Amino acid sequence: MPTAHPVCKVSEMPPGSRKLVTIGGRDIGVFRLEDGRYFGLRNRCPHRGAPLCAGRLMGLVTAERPYQLLRQREGEILRCPWHGWEFDLTTGRSVFMPEGVRVKSYPVRVQDALEPAVDKFEVTESEGIVVLWIE
Amino acid sequence: MNVTMKNQSTSLAEAKPRIRVVDADVHHNIRDKSDLYPYLANNERKRLEEHGIPRNTSLYQANGGWKGARADTFDAGEEVDPRSNFDMFQKKLLDACNVDVAILQVESTPSLVALADIDYSAALIRAINDWSLEHWVARDARYRLSLTIPMQDPAMAVKEIERLGGHPAVIAAYVVCGSPRLYGKREFDPIYAACVDHGLALSLHFSNEGFGMNPPPTAAGFPSYYGETYLIRPQFYQAHLSSFLFEGTFEKFPKLKVVCCESGFGWVPAFRWRADVAWKELRWQTPWVKRLPSEYLEEHVRFTTQPFEESEPPGAVDEIVGWMNGAKTLMYSSDFPHWDFDPPESIPSRLGPLVRRQILAENALGTYPKLAGLVGAGTG
Repeated sequence: MPTAHPVCKVSEMPPGSRKLVTIGGRDIGVFRLEDGRYFGLRNRCPHRGAPLCAGRLMGLVTAERPYQLLRQREGEILRCPWHGWEFDLTTGRSVFMPEGVRVKSYPVRVQDALEPAVDKFEVTESEGIVVLWIE
Repeated sequence: MNVTMKNQSTSLAEAKPRIRVVDADVHHNIRDKSDLYPYLANNERKRLEEHGIPRNTSLYQANGGWKGARADTFDAGEEVDPRSNFDMFQKKLLDACNVDVAILQVESTPSLVALADIDYSAALIRAINDWSLEHWVARDARYRLSLTIPMQDPAMAVKEIERLGGHPAVIAAYVVCGSPRLYGKREFDPIYAACVDHGLALSLHFSNEGFGMNPPPTAAGFPSYYGETYLIRPQFYQAHLSSFLFEGTFEKFPKLKVVCCESGFGWVPAFRWRADVAWKELRWQTPWVKRLPSEYLEEHVRFTTQPFEESEPPGAVDEIVGWMNGAKTLMYSSDFPHWDFDPPESIPSRLGPLVRRQILAENALGTYPKLAGLVGAGTG
């Protein structure tokens, strides 16, 4: 049964910001992209245990053939602050081995404060709260 | 009476702090060139004010991490180099990783030792050594300094060792691999004599290959990308170690210890085997080399662990550790605050608690003569 975990008011997370929350002993990074989408990712790199969510966001850099660089999806790739392993923020999958190496990702939604699970925030009608879901 | 004596000696032994972790490769730096002004004569100071710290890179490659450092170490903001953040080092390296002894090798060294103007080079080196002792070593007893020396001029290098080598916290001489000459050449011998006299190990770290007046980093010139540079590093160390072995450096200096920092170590067993084969077949050309090269390497040369080899399957690297007698020849290093940092947990527990303790602390205490008085956590 999925459980809802309030993170903060929407106004407390401007576009391009991130927050670190601890839920049930797990550190999870919550990201709000510039375009308004939200994502949650476990804050632990599967490589050496680095705090993954302290990494820089970058684009997805690819090359169909040698030297033909293409950079797209700016801001959707999280690069580990230590050894630079890249993860797709939208899925938790690594860029270099999407099937084999990944971190847990969590859906994050903006909701009204009506549901009991998230009722501890006082919000105005016009403002939602950021909620992370753990399944 | 006897009981009292015994208790006293026990409590004395317990009073000595046990060393859990020695980190053999840590990179601090000045925040700004003006940090060095108080340590320079007027003329050098004016030159530094005008021209800044020279950066003798003859090729540009993007580094890893964020500006070459761990992206989570910019605690004082984007504009403050993490290498210059003393408080952050204490928090994120010394305290976070239980490091009891951290050996500082200043980030600016490669730029300073690549200068052909030896007097200016030596002046900047004296300044940065004095600054390191006053602003880092004197402020936290866990620090030791690997002394930058102007290796490009052996006589000047000896002078710097004689000037500061007697300082109790100066435990090694810091040398980079890029050089116009291989380090076993006899012109460098006075440096090794001075190292032994002052109880210093020789700490060898890549850098400066192809910089300044140095030859290109490969026999076929310059690689294009940082990934290539990352991969070709072992040859820098192989070249200098071959030179030490066959020039007879370890015969001339039986007490000399050489630490290869950030060299990787997966290549070491094959190098040892090949060196022994070469010696058996060509011994008559260098008869002053009395013993198997692998014996000299095991006695005189240590390798730091970062970046710890990641094998497939993961346990395969344990075999390599065994083949190079890593229980004696490997020493932990973090490379903090660089992006390819290894925490102490990088030394796998698979190796067993004894070998792990050897690598994390004991081997370093047995390698740097001035650490010999410290007691490791695994002793007794």
